[in-house]
Amino acid sequence: MVLKKIVFCNVTFYEKEIMRIRSICYSNEKQIETVIATRNFIDQNFEEELNLDFLSHIRFTSKFHLLRLFKRYYGLTPGQYLIFRRLEKSKEYLKKGMRVSETCYAVGFRAPSSFSTLFKNKFGLSPSEYQKEQLSQRDE
Amino acid sequence: MRVTVIGIPVRDQQTALEFYTEKLGFIKKRDIPLEGGNRWLTVVSPEAQDGPEILLEPAPIHFEPSKVFQDALMDAGIPYTQFDVDDVQEEYDRLISLGVEFSVKPTAMGPVKIAVFNDTCGNNIQIVETL
Repeated sequence: MVLKKIVFCNVTFYEKEIMRIRSICYSNEKQIETVIATRNFIDQNFEEELNLDFLSHIRFTSKFHLLRLFKRYYGLTPGQYLIFRRLEKSKEYLKKGMRVSETCYAVGFRAPSSFSTLFKNKFGLSPSEYQKEQLSQRDE
Repeated sequence: MRVTVIGIPVRDQQTALEFYTEKLGFIKKRDIPLEGGNRWLTVVSPEAQDGPEILLEPAPIHFEPSKVFQDALMDAGIPYTQFDVDDVQEEYDRLISLGVEFSVKPTAMGPVKIAVFNDTCGNNIQIVETL
């Protein structure tokens, strides 16, 4: 009994908060498993043609339920995460010198114009401007 | 408006520089001498060398409320800030082997995993992996 008390006293305020918040917000293990598996699937297959119907089908759940869960735990929808993942990967390809249109298709986008628009909105530069900047830095 | 510098209060800038570069793996970006031995001292992530800089600022030495605040966070185990890592368990093992002390071992928190270590400069720092 005494030992238990001493051990409990050594737990910091932050550790207690972690345990408290986890029990309130993250107690549904099945939901968490579903969103983590969905995110991992996107990470491994982002260059493929993915959509909510397909993602929900492989997790045996409804698409609206998956959409709500994913947004709740990650703060963005599966579609937004897919775009984020593709854009991050596109930076790697552009840095290596891959052509913009080739990069667009390699990361899973189907239209160079929408790829360029999404890229510019996120990073403030068009893919070709970004590539030019990166390649000139590399050559310095 | 852009985020280019984020400050972390440290008790000793040289100790902090050594910890943040030699243990955590950041790279020194700017080291500009100021008055009284103080420095404008920043480090960056090797993966984002043109990204935000961490300013290792000696505020707790010169401004008592900063020290009080830092001590209160430390006593409560609350992280001053957090850094993303690819694998919390791997980073935990690496830092433990370098003698870094953790107050929170790798712990799952829903869709993320976290751990908290002492930066030896007055702060708890959290590392986070998105699962």
